[in-house]
Amino acid sequence: MTDQEKDPVVHSSLSWHLVIWSVLLVLSMGWALWDEVYGIRPWKGYQTRFVTLYRNFLKTVQPAEAETEKKIKASSEYQRLDREMLAAEKSVAQRVGEIDREVNQTLVPRQLTLNDAFQIVRSEIGALTYQTEVASSEGGKQSLRKEIDDIKKRVAAVRLPNADGSTASQDYTYGQMEKDLDTWKSRKAQLLQQRVALLKPAAELRAQRDKYLSDRIADVSTETLAGIERTLDTFETGIRQIHIKDVDLVDRCESCHLGTREPVVLTKAAMGGEAVYTSHPRLELLEVHDPERFGCTPCHGGNGVATSSITKGHGRHKYWLWPMHYRENFEAGCQQCHSGEIVTEMADTLNAGRELFRLRGCMGCHRYEGFDREPEELTSVHQEIRQLQTQKAEWEREAGFSIQKADRVSDNAEAQRLYAHADNLKVRSSGVDAKIEQLDMRARNLIQEIKKVGPSLKEVRMKLRKEWLPVWVENPNHWRPGTKMPTFRLDQDEVRAISAFIWQSGLTGKAVQHPQGNAERGREAFETRGCMACHSMGEGDQKQGGTFAANLSRVGEKVNYNYLVRWIHNPRERTLPYDPIEKRDLTEEDYKKQGLPFVFDEEHSRSPYGNHELVVQQMTPMPSLRLSIEESRDIATYLMTRKQDNAAYAEAAYLDDPALKARGQFLVRHYGCAGCHEIAGLEEEQRIGTELTKEGSKPLERLDFALLGHDAHGEGWYNHKGFFENKLKDPAVYDKGKEKESKLERLKMPNFNLSKQEVDAVTTFLLGSVESTLPARYHFKPTDQRQDIAEGWWVVRKYNCMGCHQMRVGQSTVFMTLPRYQDPDWKEQVPPILIGEGARVDPDWLMRFLKNPAMHESTVDRNGVRQYLKARMPTFHFSDGELRKLVRFFEALSAQAQPYIAQSLEPLSESERLMARQLFSSEGAPCLKCHATGDPGHDRIATAPNFLLAKERLKPGWTRRWMIDPAMMAPGTAMPSGLFQRDGERWIFAGPTPPNFRTYTKDHVDLLVRYMFQFTPEELGRLRASAGSGAGR
Amino acid sequence: MDLHQLWTIISTPDNVPIVMLLFVVPFYSWYALRQAFANDRLIEQLEADPAMAKTHHRKVQPYRPEWSREVHVWPFLLRIEFLAAIIVTVILVVWSITLNAPLEEPANPTLTMNPSKAPWYFLGLQEMLVYFDPWMAGVVMPSLIIGGLMVIPYIDANPLGNGYYTFKQRKYSILTFLFGFIVLWTSMIVIGTLIRGPGWMWFWPGMTWDHNRLVFEVNRDLPDIFGIKSGIMKSLFGGFVVTLYAIACGIGVHKLITRTPFNRKIYGRMSLVQYITMQVFMITMIALPVKIILKLLFRIKYVWITPWFNI
Amino acid sequence: MKNVWITSGLLSALLLSGCGGSSEKKAEAPAEAPAAAPIDTANAGTVTGKVAFAGQAPAARTISMDATPACARAHSTPQRSEEVIVNSNGTLKNAFVYVKAGLPQREWPVTAPAAKLDQQGCIYTPHVLGVQANQDIEITNSDPTNHNIHPLPKVNREWNESQPPKGEAKTKQFPREEIMIPVKCNVHPWMRSYIGVVSHPYFAVTGDDGSFTIPNLPPGEYTLATWHEKYGEQEQKITVGPKESKTVEFSYKG
Repeated sequence: MTDQEKDPVVHSSLSWHLVIWSVLLVLSMGWALWDEVYGIRPWKGYQTRFVTLYRNFLKTVQPAEAETEKKIKASSEYQRLDREMLAAEKSVAQRVGEIDREVNQTLVPRQLTLNDAFQIVRSEIGALTYQTEVASSEGGKQSLRKEIDDIKKRVAAVRLPNADGSTASQDYTYGQMEKDLDTWKSRKAQLLQQRVALLKPAAELRAQRDKYLSDRIADVSTETLAGIERTLDTFETGIRQIHIKDVDLVDRCESCHLGTREPVVLTKAAMGGEAVYTSHPRLELLEVHDPERFGCTPCHGGNGVATSSITKGHGRHKYWLWPMHYRENFEAGCQQCHSGEIVTEMADTLNAGRELFRLRGCMGCHRYEGFDREPEELTSVHQEIRQLQTQKAEWEREAGFSIQKADRVSDNAEAQRLYAHADNLKVRSSGVDAKIEQLDMRARNLIQEIKKVGPSLKEVRMKLRKEWLPVWVENPNHWRPGTKMPTFRLDQDEVRAISAFIWQSGLTGKAVQHPQGNAERGREAFETRGCMACHSMGEGDQKQGGTFAANLSRVGEKVNYNYLVRWIHNPRERTLPYDPIEKRDLTEEDYKKQGLPFVFDEEHSRSPYGNHELVVQQMTPMPSLRLSIEESRDIATYLMTRKQDNAAYAEAAYLDDPALKARGQFLVRHYGCAGCHEIAGLEEEQRIGTELTKEGSKPLERLDFALLGHDAHGEGWYNHKGFFENKLKDPAVYDKGKEKESKLERLKMPNFNLSKQEVDAVTTFLLGSVESTLPARYHFKPTDQRQDIAEGWWVVRKYNCMGCHQMRVGQSTVFMTLPRYQDPDWKEQVPPILIGEGARVDPDWLMRFLKNPAMHESTVDRNGVRQYLKARMPTFHFSDGELRKLVRFFEALSAQAQPYIAQSLEPLSESERLMARQLFSSEGAPCLKCHATGDPGHDRIATAPNFLLAKERLKPGWTRRWMIDPAMMAPGTAMPSGLFQRDGERWIFAGPTPPNFRTYTKDHVDLLVRYMFQFTPEELGRLRASAGSGAGR
Repeated sequence: MDLHQLWTIISTPDNVPIVMLLFVVPFYSWYALRQAFANDRLIEQLEADPAMAKTHHRKVQPYRPEWSREVHVWPFLLRIEFLAAIIVTVILVVWSITLNAPLEEPANPTLTMNPSKAPWYFLGLQEMLVYFDPWMAGVVMPSLIIGGLMVIPYIDANPLGNGYYTFKQRKYSILTFLFGFIVLWTSMIVIGTLIRGPGWMWFWPGMTWDHNRLVFEVNRDLPDIFGIKSGIMKSLFGGFVVTLYAIACGIGVHKLITRTPFNRKIYGRMSLVQYITMQVFMITMIALPVKIILKLLFRIKYVWITPWFNI
Repeated sequence: MKNVWITSGLLSALLLSGCGGSSEKKAEAPAEAPAAAPIDTANAGTVTGKVAFAGQAPAARTISMDATPACARAHSTPQRSEEVIVNSNGTLKNAFVYVKAGLPQREWPVTAPAAKLDQQGCIYTPHVLGVQANQDIEITNSDPTNHNIHPLPKVNREWNESQPPKGEAKTKQFPREEIMIPVKCNVHPWMRSYIGVVSHPYFAVTGDDGSFTIPNLPPGEYTLATWHEKYGEQEQKITVGPKESKTVEFSYKG
C-alpha cells in the first residue's frame, strides 16, 4: 500500500524529531554547565588572564632590577660587608660543624630511639596509676601499686645508635631512661645555644649587608620578584574575598582586581592595557584604611558580594542602593566617615566641594550638619543656660527647705544630715554659676563668630550707587563674571521690587567726608598689602588674585568713595549695633534712654536693654589690615578708578517708591536672600531649602525629577549623580515643561554658574552625604589631637589663611601665583610658611599674636614680627574660641604636647655671652645682615625678624633644629643651610670663629640658642655696637 | 508610541510569562477546539452511518478499515509524551539560563514602590480590587472561585464527552470554562501586568508610564445617580437592583441552558440543589464583567452600599 | 563537497582572527625609550655669531655695598649693576645662547668639566652661566665674608646654603633643563647670577665682544634661541649643513 494509506499513528516516525531535540537537549545541558562554571563566574577568566599578563610584566621588569642590583653588589661597601660576613662564618665554621655533627648524628637519634621505649613504659604506668586512683578497695590499690613498682624495676634492652651508625644494646630501667633522656636534652640545648652564639656576628653582618642592599633599591628587589613568580606558579583560581565579621561586610572585588595590593606597582600599560589589574592608585591611603579592616565597598560603593557580572559587582543596578562612585566622584566615599571635616587629606575634589558649599552660600538655604553651625550652637547654648538657671533655683529652694526641716527635727544626726545636704546643694549651685559663666562667654564668642556669605544689606544706602543696584540684582554674574552671588530667575517687576525694598531698608549713618588719596600709592598698597590674597583684579585672562572674595575690577562703578574708605580702614565697623532680643538695630536714642554713651565695640558689646550680647561687628570675614587712614584713602582712590569707561546705568528713581517695598520684602523672604545677607527686619529668617546632610542616601523616588524622570531613565542618568549634576548645572531644569500657576511656585534655587569641575566637586560632596551603613567606630571622630586639626581647618578655611600662608607641603598660596612675587627680589616678601608653626612658636605667644598681630597696643600700623614685610598680617578679631582652636590646630599639626611648658635653658656665663656676641657680629656670620636689629637704617633692608622676639616667641628645640638646617623645615626659605657643621658629637660654626672659641668645647648651636633666649634690648645695643666696630676690622 | 517603555515592560523577567500567555492561551484554546470540531464531525458521520459505527473504533479522522483498530500506549503514545518532555525540558533550561529571577532592593517601610504589583498569578485578584471593595475582591471572590471549581464535578450532569474532545456535546461547560478562564482570569492578569501603570492607572501599551500623570475620574455610586441620599435607602435600593440583576441573569442563564432539546435533557437530569448551586455561581460569575463594564464605562463604583459590605 | 569549503573557510577565518589578535598584542606593548641615536660628529658644523644691541643702553644703577663693609672694601670703584652690559662694539654681554629645538631625543653624556661659579667682591662671576643638565657646578667663595647661595628654580629643586669665607667649594648639579635659574644671596641682596641648564652641550654665553660659538653641532635644522636678563628671549631657525660653519646674528632693541 502507498504511504498515504499507512496509518499515521503507527507508521509516522518520530526519530528525526527525537534526534534533533535530544541534540538540542544535550546542547542546552552543555550550555547550562558552561554557564554554571564560567558564564556566571567571569572572575575565573580574569584570574587566568591576570596570571599570564603579570608574568609577562615581571619578565620585562626583572632584567632592569637585576642590573641595578648587580651594580650595588659590585660596590666596594657591599663587597666588604659580604667578605666580612663570609670571614666571620668561616672562622666559626669548624666548631659549628662539630656541634651539628654531635647533635644530628649522636644526640638526636639516641634520644629518638630511647624515647620510644620510654614512652611505652610510661603509658603503661600511666594507665595503671589511673586504675589505682579509681580503684575502690584499698587491697586493689595495693596490688596495683605493686604492679607499677614491678614495671619500674623491669629492665629492658635498648639498641642505641652510635655516631658511626653502628648500634649497641644497653639495659635500662625506667628511671635510667628518664635520667639519660634529660641529660641528653640539656646537652643538646646547651650545644645549640653555643651554635647561635658562635654564628651571631656573622648573622649581624649578613643583616647589615642585606640592609645595605635594600636601602639602595628604590622599588622591589629581585627576591621579591622571585617571590611573586612563585606565588604565580602556585596561583589558585578562586574567590578572593575580604570578610569583616562585625560589619558583616563581604567584598570580593579582588577576585578580579587582583593587582590592587601587589608589591609591584601595576599600571594599565604594564598589564596589557587592562585597567582592571592596576594597583590601587593611592597605596598610602590603603595604609591608613587597611582593606582587611575597611574592605573596598565602604569607600568605593558597589556590590562587593556580586561576582556574576561587572555591572552587578559595581552595583550599577537599578535596585542596588549604593552603586560604585564614578571616577569624577570617587572621593564621595570619604565623606560618609569624614563628615565632620572641612578639609580631608588627599581628598581634594571633596574638599573643593565642601569649600564651594560653604563659600557660595549653599548653607545659607540648606542646612548641613557642621556648616555655619554658630547660630544653631548659639540657640542651644542659650537653652542650656536657661536650664541651668532653673536647676540652680530648684537646688537653692531645696537647700532652704532642708535647713528649715533640720532646724525642726528632733534627732541630731538627722539634722546634721539635712544641713550637710543643704550645704552640698549650695556648693553645687555655685558650681552651676561657674558653668553658666562659661556658657555666657561661649555665647559671646558665637555672636562674634557668626559670619554671612554676602555683605550686609543694611549698608546699601551709604555704600552703593543707587542705579547700580537693580542691574546687579537682575544678573550679578553678568555684571561680574564668576561672582559668588547666584543668578535668580527674576522678571523686571521682581527686580524693581527687590531693589526698592533693599534700598529702602538700608540704614543712613553719619557719612564722613574723606579727601582723595593717591591712586598710584593705593595701587601699590593694594597689590602688596595682601588684599589680593582674597580679592581678584582684572577680568577674563587678566584676572589675578584670590577667589575667596569679590573681584574688584569694576568696583569703582558701584561704591561711594567715603564708605569705601571707612570699609578699608575697618571692615568690621557697624553703623548700628543689632540687638538679637529686641530684634532690631539699636539707635543712639536707645542708648540715650538708658542714659548710656552711644559706644559699641568688642569691649562695649552689652545691650542697654538687659545684659545680653549685641552684634557689634559686621558679619564679614574680611579682617582689618590696620592701615592708616591715609593709606585707606589711597587704596580707596585706586579702587574708585577701577571701572569700565562706557559703563552706563539707567535712572532708578523707583527705588524710593514705598509702594514697592512690601512686595519687595515678600520676594526677598521668598527667595531666602537673608540666608547670605544681613537684611533689616529679616535677621531671624530661617533657611528656606531642604537639609542636605543625608541627601545622598535619600531614596531616589524622593528626588523630584518631575517630567524629566522618564528621559532620565532612557538616557541613563536616573540616579543621584544625575539628579545632582543636572540640578547644579541648571537649578531650574526640573521645572522644564511644568505648568505653574505663578512664578512663585517655580523652583527657587538660583543659578550658581558652576563650571564642570565645580559641579563635579559639589556632586561628590552630596553623593558622599549619606546615612552611613557602617558602625559608628568606623566614622572619623577622633578624640586626640587629630580632632584639634579637624576643628582648626574650619577656622583656617573660614578666614582663608591659605590665601597668604602655606599650611601644607605642596599647597600653593595666592601670593605665590601673583606675577610680582615671581621676581627673585620679591621672594622674601611672600608671607611666612606655617608648616611646623606649632613646633616653632610658643602657644601663649601665638595666642597673643593672633589676637593682635601688631604686637603693640598703640602703634598698630605695623606687623608685629616681620616688620620688613609689605604684606600685612591682619587683625581678624577672632573670638576666644577661634583663637583657642587655631593655637591647638598648629600645636596638633606638629604633634606638640599640650599645654606647652617652656624648658629652662642653662644661663650664659659672661664669657659665653661675649663669645656669642662676637660670633654674631663677626664677618663670617651673616646673622645681622638679614635679621632686624631695630636700627631703622638697617631694618629697611632686613628680611628676617628681630632676635629680641626669640625668647617669647620661639621654642628652643625648634630654634636649634632651624639653625642647623632650615631647608628641612621650610624649603626655599631665605635662611641659609650649612651654617654649622658636625664635629664629633657637637655642632660647630662652619665659618671662621673669633679667637676665644678655640678653647670652647661646647656645642655652638646651643650657645647661640641660649644667647638668643637670654637676649635683652641692652644686649642688642651692645651687639649693634660691636657689629659696627666689626666693620672697622 | 514609547517603544523603550514597551520594551522595559515586556522584557522584565517577571512579565515574560504573561507575554507568552498572550500567545499560548489563544493558540491552545484554538487547537483544542479544532480537535473538538473534528470529533463532532466524526460523531455526526457515525450517527448517520450505523454500519461504520460498528467497525469504527477510532475517535479521530482519517480512518481506513485495514488499519488496526486499536494501537498500544507503548510506544505510540509514550514516545510522543517523551518527545514533549524533552522539548519542555529544553525550553525550561534555556529560559532558566537566560532569564534570572529579578531581585529588588531591600524593602523600605517608608517607601512603597509605584506601581506595586502582586506576583503575576495574583494580578487577576489585584485587578479585581479596582472593581470591588477589598472584602469582596480579596476574600469572597477568591473563595467563590475555589468553591466553584470544587463543585464543578458535582453539578455536571452531562455524561458525554469523557476521554475525547467535543464541543457539540459540552457546549455549555466549555463556553463557561472559556469565559471563566480567559475573560475573568487570563485577561485580568494581562491587564494587571501590562496595562496598569503608576497609580494603578490605565496605560495603553506603548504609553509612557509617567509618574506625574493625572486623570480626572469621579467614581459615583449607583444610588447617587438616582439622587438617593440616606444610608438606609441606599442599601435598600442597592439590594433591590442587585436582586433585580440576579433574577434577570438567572432567567437568562435558564433560557440559555434550556434552549436546545439536548440541553433540556441534561437539565432534566439535574437535581434542584445542583441547579441552584450552578445558578448561584453563574450569576456571580457574570456579575464580574457586568461590574467591570459599569466601572469602566459609567464610572460606577458601587451598586449596593451597606454598612457591612459594598457591591 | 560543499562542507569542505565551509570548514576551510571557517578555519581560515579562525587563523586570520588569531593573527589579528597577536598583532594587536604587539601594538599594546609599552613603547621603548628612544634608542640613543648616534651623533654625527664626523661632519659636525659650527654655529658662531653675535648678539647685537641697538638703541640706548639704560644707565646701570650703582650698587651700595655699605651693608657689608668687607664687600665695600673689596672694590675701589663703585660697582654697577650687571643687568645690561653693552660692549664697546655695540653688542650685548651675558646673553645666553642655546639650541632650543631640533636636536634628536637622546641622553647627552656630560663631557664638559665642572662649571665654575665664584663669589668675589660680593659679586657672582660669571653673571650668566650655562651648564648641561647634571653637569657639576663648582661654587667657591673668595671673599672674607660669609655668603649664601640661593638658586630659585621653578623646575629643579630649590636650595639655599651658606658658604663661609674662603670655605671649601660646593659642587652642585641641576638634573632638569631650565631657562633660566636666578641665583641670589640673601645676605647681599644685590648679588645676582643666572644659570641656564640645558640637556645638551650646545649652548654659549656672549662675552665682552658679544660673540658666541657653538662648536661641533651635528648637521640638521635647529631653533637657536638667545635669552637676556632684561630683554627676554629671541629665536631663529637655522640649518646646519655637514661641516658647515654658520654665522647667526641676534639683535636686541634698547
